[in-house]
Amino acid sequence: MTLLSVKNLRVTFDTEAGVVEAVRGVSFSLGRERLGIVGESGSGKTMTGRSVLRLIRPPGRIAADEMLFDGQDLMKLPEREMRALRGPRMAMVMQDPKYSLNPVMKVGAQLMEGLRQRDRVGRAEAHGKAVAALEAVQIRDPERVMEAYPHELSGGMGQRVMIAMMLIPNPDLLIADEPTSALDVTVQAEVLSILDGLVRDRGMGLIFISHDLRLVARFCDRVLVMYKGRVVEELAAQDLLHAKHPYTQGLLNCLPRIGGDRGPLPGLDRNAEWAR
Amino acid sequence: MALIEIENLSVIFNAKGREVRAVEGVSLSVEARESFGLVGESGSGKSTILRAICGLAPVSGGTIRLGGAPVARGKAFSRRVQMVFQDPYASLHPRHTLDRTLSEPLAIHGLGDADRRVMQALEDVGLPTSFRFRYPHQLSGGQRQRVAIARALMLEPEILLLDEPTSALDASVQAETLNLLSRLRDERGLTFLMVSHDLAVIDHMCDRVLVMQHGRAVEELSREALAGAQMKTAYARSLFEASADRMLG
Amino acid sequence: MTLTDWLRDPNPTSRRQAKLGQLWLGWLRLRRNPLAMAGLVIILLLLVLAAFAPWLATQDPITQNLQNRLMPPGTAGHWLGTDDFGRDIWSRIVFGARITLYIIALVAVTAPLIGMLVGTVAGYFGGWVDQVLMRITDIFLAFPRLILALALVAVLGPGIGNAVLAIALTAWPPYARVARAETLTVRHSDYIAAVRLQGAGAGRIIWGHIVPMCLPSVIIRVTLDMAGVILIAAGLGFLGLGAQPPLPEWGLMISAGRKYLFEQWWVATMPGLAIFIVSLGFNLLGDGLRDVLDPRSSGK
Repeated sequence: MTLLSVKNLRVTFDTEAGVVEAVRGVSFSLGRERLGIVGESGSGKTMTGRSVLRLIRPPGRIAADEMLFDGQDLMKLPEREMRALRGPRMAMVMQDPKYSLNPVMKVGAQLMEGLRQRDRVGRAEAHGKAVAALEAVQIRDPERVMEAYPHELSGGMGQRVMIAMMLIPNPDLLIADEPTSALDVTVQAEVLSILDGLVRDRGMGLIFISHDLRLVARFCDRVLVMYKGRVVEELAAQDLLHAKHPYTQGLLNCLPRIGGDRGPLPGLDRNAEWAR
Repeated sequence: MALIEIENLSVIFNAKGREVRAVEGVSLSVEARESFGLVGESGSGKSTILRAICGLAPVSGGTIRLGGAPVARGKAFSRRVQMVFQDPYASLHPRHTLDRTLSEPLAIHGLGDADRRVMQALEDVGLPTSFRFRYPHQLSGGQRQRVAIARALMLEPEILLLDEPTSALDASVQAETLNLLSRLRDERGLTFLMVSHDLAVIDHMCDRVLVMQHGRAVEELSREALAGAQMKTAYARSLFEASADRMLG
Repeated sequence: MTLTDWLRDPNPTSRRQAKLGQLWLGWLRLRRNPLAMAGLVIILLLLVLAAFAPWLATQDPITQNLQNRLMPPGTAGHWLGTDDFGRDIWSRIVFGARITLYIIALVAVTAPLIGMLVGTVAGYFGGWVDQVLMRITDIFLAFPRLILALALVAVLGPGIGNAVLAIALTAWPPYARVARAETLTVRHSDYIAAVRLQGAGAGRIIWGHIVPMCLPSVIIRVTLDMAGVILIAAGLGFLGLGAQPPLPEWGLMISAGRKYLFEQWWVATMPGLAIFIVSLGFNLLGDGLRDVLDPRSSGK
């Protein structure tokens, strides 16, 4: 079943130097699966993720032929209805929890805020749901974390709190923008398995944005490779390491490998054709 | 005799009356022209060791020797040891042109011929000389890191401390930067002490690697032992296994 | 190649060209901001008034003519009216621009310099240096500025020069605070660590690397403080400790017109408007300068 279908998405920025196109005609569809979007910085992958939530600030502009989420065209919804969708139906996790959590508010209060304000849930019930959400992301002592301030948490813990916060309203679509890039490898594995479990158990759709091809190959079902605002290749994740497109191959080849030889790493010869 | 000898180093920070033991009893030695890696997760104290060598972190115990003599900081030290920082966005002064950034060390040490040396330095790191009067915000991340490397080499040091020099860069830019570092190392006979969380990068660049955890040294591995997965400690093994997708093949 | 091409060359060939090109870019950025341009025009007008005062004034600003006293605006020959001694208000405002500029220039140069020096040194070294310098700053801040300036003038003796000195000595503490706060945010940054590692001494680091980071906030603070400086100068004049009558100092003119505020409103209002317009000019310009002084805000 298709949860989200995007046709010909464009994001443009009006700058002093003229119009800059960050995303140029991206189309994809997403079921209840893990879709990876990979690319280098500036490839438009983050902008693609944000524009699904219509979270592009002026002077940026979004245009698309169609952006269907569960039968509704997101392009046509007024901002008020869009706001009602963000959170309960679709959510986003950013790279660095440091900038996404309010530094002067206890974690518990932040977790409960949405429930209390939006859903008018009682204090005790909200508390219970928040604790349950923390448990769902495998935080062992949720009561202590509820009483902590964001700066008292480690990076991995903060990222789990962010995921928990996004999951409380039980969204159908989660967009994760480099959710593990700031984390250590061992913590990274735990966070990924949490996300994985959520997709499987709750039937959630996940857009996983990352610059790390090997990680995406291991974790996702399907992958879009972006270059300069366009999708240059779409393929099943297990085929990623045997990609056909020279850009994808180049990205893979320029990574150093344990046990590899120590000669110069192959560079990426960019071809102007790829951006067409 | 090793070029860098660190014995039983500990670094203790005083944070709001509470002691934070960032590094505890770490010893290592690096031969001249060798590349030595420090690997570990965040908070393992690997960067703190580099900062302690430079005097940017307090040495609370143990000794650091350079070429057999206890380390003495000052102008002579800065002509022997230089550092490249992790974040190329934070390590260049935002209001100084590249020309100013690169000629500053020459001015500090009273070295003449600044024009020629700055142009030469830009060429050495593969930047067009027309960039000379640009500001950091006009450059990409990879270009900035090249400037940071050029700055570190202005005083022609023998030791380069590299603190995650490529972790903020894209894969292709990382490859270019690592190639640049390897080339400069061969051309100038540099000794590298390099910190990274990426075992593949460490393996590519370094002859030996010290695995660290919670401020302590866990295990020292040769390049062969790393590639052959011959770890003795459980922690080093778990780190290796988490990087399994970075293996050859 | 035209001059603008030379200035806009993205790859300048000399330091001088790079510097001038940077200034040109700053000017272009400032020009795009209509409010800042309005501020700049006001400041330029003030400069013109001061420079060409003898030609722009219609009467002598000091000579009294008691027959013409308290004429309303619009009277022939006195388009802004006359004051209680029959002196032409327009001429007095024109000549007063010189005094205002003199005060502003001296205070604007000395106070931020002292403040920045104290603030950056305290912030960079920290520890007991910070403690001593900041407690001194606190002592200065604890007194109301006018009272402190009064005390200083009382010691130094009345007169406009001493008034300026007193104002400068009381105006530096806020700059020290601002500079210290900026210093604390940058002193642990990697680029400061890098230059320390190159063997730079404290003087070079503070002057060459930290001061440029403090400059924008200090400059903005200076432009915003200018209105207050003019008013304190006026207050000192009013109390007989600053500019002395019959000098056409704007603040002094307001206090002289205070007696007639209800019947002959223009006597106090005209110099008041002059102060208002000049302060507005500084504020608008300061706001625009903030954008110009930050190279990161320019187009990428």
